Amino acid sequence: MSKSTNLVLLIDDEPKIRRFLRAGFELHGGFTVQEAESAADGVRAATFNAPDLIILDLALPDRRGSEVLELIRSWSNVPIIVLSVESNEEEKVRLLELGADDYVVKPFGIAELIARSHAALRRYFKSADENPVVIAGPLSIDLVNRTVLLNNGQIKLTRKQYRLLHVLATHVGLVVTHDKLLEEVWSGNVRKNIQYLRILVRDLRQIIEVDPNHPRLIVTESGVGYRLQSRFEDVSAD
Amino acid sequence: MPFGHERKSLESLFAGIGSGNSSRPNEELPWRRALLTNALPLIMSLLCVGLATSGLLLIVDRFLPLNLVPVVYLIPVVIAATWWGTWPAFAAAIAGAAAADFFFTTPFYSFRMDDPQQIVDLLLFLFVALVSSDLASRLRQETETLRRREREIQCLYEFSRRLAACFTVSDLICAIQNYLSGTLGRHTTFFFATLDRSFQPEPFEAVPEMVGQSAASMMRKIGLRADIITDEPTKSVWLLRAVSSDDATHGVIAVNIGSDSRAVVDTRTRHVEAVLAEASLTLQRLDIGRAMEEAALRLKDQLLRDAFHGNLAHELRSPVAAIRGSASVLETMPAIRNESRIHSLVEAITDEAERLDGFIRNLLNATRVSASDVRPHIECADPRDVINAAIRRRSRQLAAHRVEVSFADDLPMINVDSALAEEACGQILENAAKYSPSGSTISIGTRTEQGHVVVSITDRGVGITPDEQQQLGLRSFRSHRHQATIPGSGLGFWIASTFVKANDGTIDILSRGQGQGTTISIALPAARIEDDESAGLANE
Repeated sequence: MSKSTNLVLLIDDEPKIRRFLRAGFELHGGFTVQEAESAADGVRAATFNAPDLIILDLALPDRRGSEVLELIRSWSNVPIIVLSVESNEEEKVRLLELGADDYVVKPFGIAELIARSHAALRRYFKSADENPVVIAGPLSIDLVNRTVLLNNGQIKLTRKQYRLLHVLATHVGLVVTHDKLLEEVWSGNVRKNIQYLRILVRDLRQIIEVDPNHPRLIVTESGVGYRLQSRFEDVSAD
Repeated sequence: MPFGHERKSLESLFAGIGSGNSSRPNEELPWRRALLTNALPLIMSLLCVGLATSGLLLIVDRFLPLNLVPVVYLIPVVIAATWWGTWPAFAAAIAGAAAADFFFTTPFYSFRMDDPQQIVDLLLFLFVALVSSDLASRLRQETETLRRREREIQCLYEFSRRLAACFTVSDLICAIQNYLSGTLGRHTTFFFATLDRSFQPEPFEAVPEMVGQSAASMMRKIGLRADIITDEPTKSVWLLRAVSSDDATHGVIAVNIGSDSRAVVDTRTRHVEAVLAEASLTLQRLDIGRAMEEAALRLKDQLLRDAFHGNLAHELRSPVAAIRGSASVLETMPAIRNESRIHSLVEAITDEAERLDGFIRNLLNATRVSASDVRPHIECADPRDVINAAIRRRSRQLAAHRVEVSFADDLPMINVDSALAEEACGQILENAAKYSPSGSTISIGTRTEQGHVVVSITDRGVGITPDEQQQLGLRSFRSHRHQATIPGSGLGFWIASTFVKANDGTIDILSRGQGQGTTISIALPAARIEDDESAGLANE
């Protein structure tokens, strides 16, 4: 990261959850933790303390998490990761569209959240980093020269395949929604047909995955979108 | 076509209840009944007169003065009047006068009368006999009316008692049946048509077609409440009345009132209508009662569901999330990672927390299913993604088994709600792991079949008996064979099959029996291939 320590703001009304999040972030180093137990507290802390990362629970007693998200997004670009409840894909998509960088589904392991946090921070500080090469497992994508290396050998992709990989690579480790991918790859001039995207992903997997039937690089988030994994262990930890 | 169907359903709608005798001998009844009711009393009263005459012939002159003879003839007249009514009494009076004239007035054995005194006596006798016969028969009528009233009141009392005890429409129909057969007697036949067919009395007599049609049209139209139909072949009058409350017609009652005189038909009509008026009050009470009961049930159900969805699930899942999260922090601490015994304990905590969360998720899914709250968001998905996600999500449950997956090369995309389809596959996988020995293989295969992608999940486990197979789709079904040995809620297959159906899919079970393993096949609709177009676009 660009800073030696990042300030992470936890907005969650459950003290037990905050406690393990604090322990997890502190143990993994590079984070100082601040807690807020309500939406009002959280918004205040986000305003005055300028955190580098916000972990936002959706079930807050005083205000809906999505409103808090919208409010913070109206003036800040800070990475926000949402703690969501399961079985509501549409809600997840809506949150991502409102500006959440990613989400984790309760119950989750700390490793998963830390990985997402790093990915979100990396994307946030990317411009400062000036590193145009994204590494994802055996894959390295040079965003400036538009070349893709797989196990150090260059591979050839069609324009759309590269475009897709490019969008995923700029969000490496983070989920990208179907709508965003469709928009980016087809530049919005094709009616939004998710079937095109499915087929494009299948073809891309044939090229870059070791076993296209069990993909480990481009992971499907069902009902939401796709994620380019930055490290393989993320798959098994899921 | 609609007409034929109507006739058929009409026949099944109608079921008859006969009270008393079969009405088939109706054709020979009238003259026989006329003979019994009219001729017999006449003959009997004439016989009485005969008896009186022969008695008088024996005792007159010796014990009885001749001028008292007409008084003796009053006896058969009074007997006939009290037992058989006016006309037999009249006959007895005439016959008595004639016999007195013939046998006991001069000249004897002739109808000629010379003595003016005897003519006056005989006329006096006739007058007294006619008046007393009328009086006596009136008395008899009064007694009979009283008796009938008493019986009616008794029936009515019994009827209202039964009405009070009615809890369902069929109770009510039974009560009406009992009451009408008790009061209208054996001439009555009636039928009841209902829409829900909950009430099925034993079939009896065929209903005339006209009556059936009229009843059916009354069932359909609201507002049509009564009808009277005369059935031409048998000349019997049918009274039809809708048994209805304010908002619904529960049925039509058709009463065969018979072919008697207009007055009798009118009386019976009034009678039946009074009964039905009474019954419709009861019906309203039943309606209100049922509506209240249903409302209470709905409310309870709704409250329970809301409580579970809104609060309980959150309350239950939050601590589980905290346990799972805390364990995951522990797991990453170097001190614990290096101490294998403690590490395995932490792993156990993680496993159990995830298992608990799985149970809660199942319950949530179950409440969604029973609330019919499954609203699939159908879109194109890769079946590989669905299956891989299901396996990954159940990786802990499947850890002890070998999972073999083979995907067909040309597998098309499917049109499903991927979250629901994934959960359905996951449930089936979990069951496969639960009901087959550790270390055995679970194989997952895919094939394309008639516009569907079929995912088949095969285990080498305990299998399913045909008996269990029938009950498997039911909520909370658990086979007796495993209840003690394998933990579970019995919700898994039920949730899976509901979710598959929500995706317009089908689910099939194949098991060669106990111990032979099980194959569950889930067929999901394939997406229409627009390969040329989409492949062109994709590969651009």
